Amino acid sequence: MKLQRIAAITERVLRQLAHDRRVLAFMLLIPAAAMILFGYSFSGDIRDVKVAVIDEDRTDLTASLLDSLTADEALLVRVVPSGEDPERLLLEEGYQGVIRFPAKFTSLYYAHFAMGVATSAQGRIDLTLDESDPQIAAAIQKSLADALMDLGEGGPVDVQIQDLYGVEVRFIDSFAPAIMGLVVAMISTVLTLLSIVREKVDGTFARVWVSPVRRAEFILGYVLAFGLVALAQSLVVLGIGGLVFHIVINGSVFWAFLCVILFAVGSVGLGTLLSAVAQTESQAIVSFPLVMLPSVLLSGMMWPVQAIPAVLRPLSYLVPLTYSNRVLRAVMVKGLAPWQEPVGFAGVLAFVVLTIAAATLVLRQQSRRSD
Amino acid sequence: MSRAEPVFAAARVEKAFGTLRAVDGLSMAVEGGEIYGLVGPSGSGKTTLLRMLCGLTAPSGGEARLLGSAMPRERRKVEERFGYMPQERAVYRDLSVAENLLFFGQVYGMSRRRIAARTAELLAMMKLEDRRGQRADRLSGGEKQRLSLACTLVHEADALLLDEPTIGLDPALRAEFWDYFRDLSSRGRTLLVSTHYLHEADRCRRVGLMQRGRLVAEGTPAALRTLAGEHAGHPVGDMEDVFLVLTRSEGDAR
Ligand SMILES: Nc1ncnc2c1ncn2[C@@H]1O[C@H](COP(=O)(O)OP(=O)(O)OP(=O)(O)O)[C@@H](O)[C@H]1O
Ligand SMILES: [Mg+2]
Repeated sequence: MKLQRIAAITERVLRQLAHDRRVLAFMLLIPAAAMILFGYSFSGDIRDVKVAVIDEDRTDLTASLLDSLTADEALLVRVVPSGEDPERLLLEEGYQGVIRFPAKFTSLYYAHFAMGVATSAQGRIDLTLDESDPQIAAAIQKSLADALMDLGEGGPVDVQIQDLYGVEVRFIDSFAPAIMGLVVAMISTVLTLLSIVREKVDGTFARVWVSPVRRAEFILGYVLAFGLVALAQSLVVLGIGGLVFHIVINGSVFWAFLCVILFAVGSVGLGTLLSAVAQTESQAIVSFPLVMLPSVLLSGMMWPVQAIPAVLRPLSYLVPLTYSNRVLRAVMVKGLAPWQEPVGFAGVLAFVVLTIAAATLVLRQQSRRSD
Repeated sequence: MSRAEPVFAAARVEKAFGTLRAVDGLSMAVEGGEIYGLVGPSGSGKTTLLRMLCGLTAPSGGEARLLGSAMPRERRKVEERFGYMPQERAVYRDLSVAENLLFFGQVYGMSRRRIAARTAELLAMMKLEDRRGQRADRLSGGEKQRLSLACTLVHEADALLLDEPTIGLDPALRAEFWDYFRDLSSRGRTLLVSTHYLHEADRCRRVGLMQRGRLVAEGTPAALRTLAGEHAGHPVGDMEDVFLVLTRSEGDAR
């Protein structure tokens, strides 16, 4: 392994990109266009949102509210012991909302009816929300409102909403991380794929192969080049997000970039893998929607994974962007460190390790085959 | 490498693609400093033989050796010491002339400074100085061909495998290429050159005539002329005729 040879590959790939002004323009336009065009809310039916209920009152009234919530298909309700800290439940247990019926909720609720409208006494419910996905937060609020309607009397209940992150998160805020992941994955995968296929078609691959360049050096060279490209694209997304949409980033930009670059590395691996299947440039181009459609549709980018029909949901866990979305949203919206979103982070790491390892193997096979 | 070790050697080397034997039990040896010409009709297995000798594809039988190392198994031992020019004009079409040379120099561990000096030398030789900054896909066919050869030569290898380096060039340029090959060989380089142009065989020290994956005749141009004369029953002067006679008599023998 020699740094100079890796750097030679990286420099070459970057020069090739720099020469093609149109590709360069697309590379920067795509994140911008995606950010602007997709900046609208898409919504499917949301299902199975994990919600914790803390019942400190334990009356018939709270029991019937709990029944309504449990019956609601949008929610997956678990009752947790009173005294649990709602923030901890959200951050560590993976709940997306915590509903708390405080002690005396029932008596205050009926007191209102007993004393008539003249009183200010009314029942209070505490709702703590993970706002990193505003669609989900809205779904929980709606379900709670529906459950209160089911009580019939429709008495006033004061729902006290606490936003976990202290700021209101809009769709666009949680959309920026997804756009970053999507654009980076798309460009890195496709350009790596095209570049390697082109090397094979033109015969430069044979030259590289007889030279001292090792498989790992070849892949690392591409990884470095597209890592840098990913960084530039992330800057465009965040720049437009900040200037045009005034997005809020609660977390560390450093971790966000690190995760994006990791994701780019996995995407380079994926592109290398695909280059073993696609032998011509046209094959490479038509394979493109095959990679992109599942990412857009199933990753929780447009609508939450909970809005995807249960039959298809396992598929969304096969889509790398699902994990990138989770970890990038955790980092950028929730302000967590990547490992505090273990599923997303582990998913991205596994994506990197698997694709790079497989890509190295695939390059070996290609070299043994006659062409 | 001991003095007696040939630079390129094939021992009953075979390559099968399915039922097709592209190279069929071929043996040959090229000594240091030689220019060896590989001629033969299209599809006779020249490219396949060269690819096996430089380790791009493994023989299905027999052994291919380059500078004493079995290919592709021991190719790491000799990877810096040989240069290969593929039959396709294998250059990066979206890089400039100078950038192509820079990349292939860097890959062989050369410093930027050395590459710059070498680039100037090669561009002068290939008459590409005023194309330096031009993208490879905007070069003419012949210019691209010259760039492709320059990319093979940039790291100053001892052993060169050139697959049809002169195809598509005008006669004047072909003559210049061959002058240059002779110059390289006089400086101790060993060249294995495949070609379609039979007249070029006269510029080689030895020539191997391939047909259907086998070497049907081998020797100096003069020796091949004599052999053809014996087969034809009258003197044969022109190289084209020499090969027509030799390939035909081989066909009869089958
Ligand atoms: N990867 C491959 N798969 C299948 N057949 C192949 C492959 N490579 C070469 N062949 C076949 O092997 C034979 C020899 O091919 P090769 O390229 O070595 O010929 P050549 O002498 O270089 O021809 P030309 O002068 O046209 O370049 C041809 O019939 C070719 O079709
Ligand atoms: Mg050939």
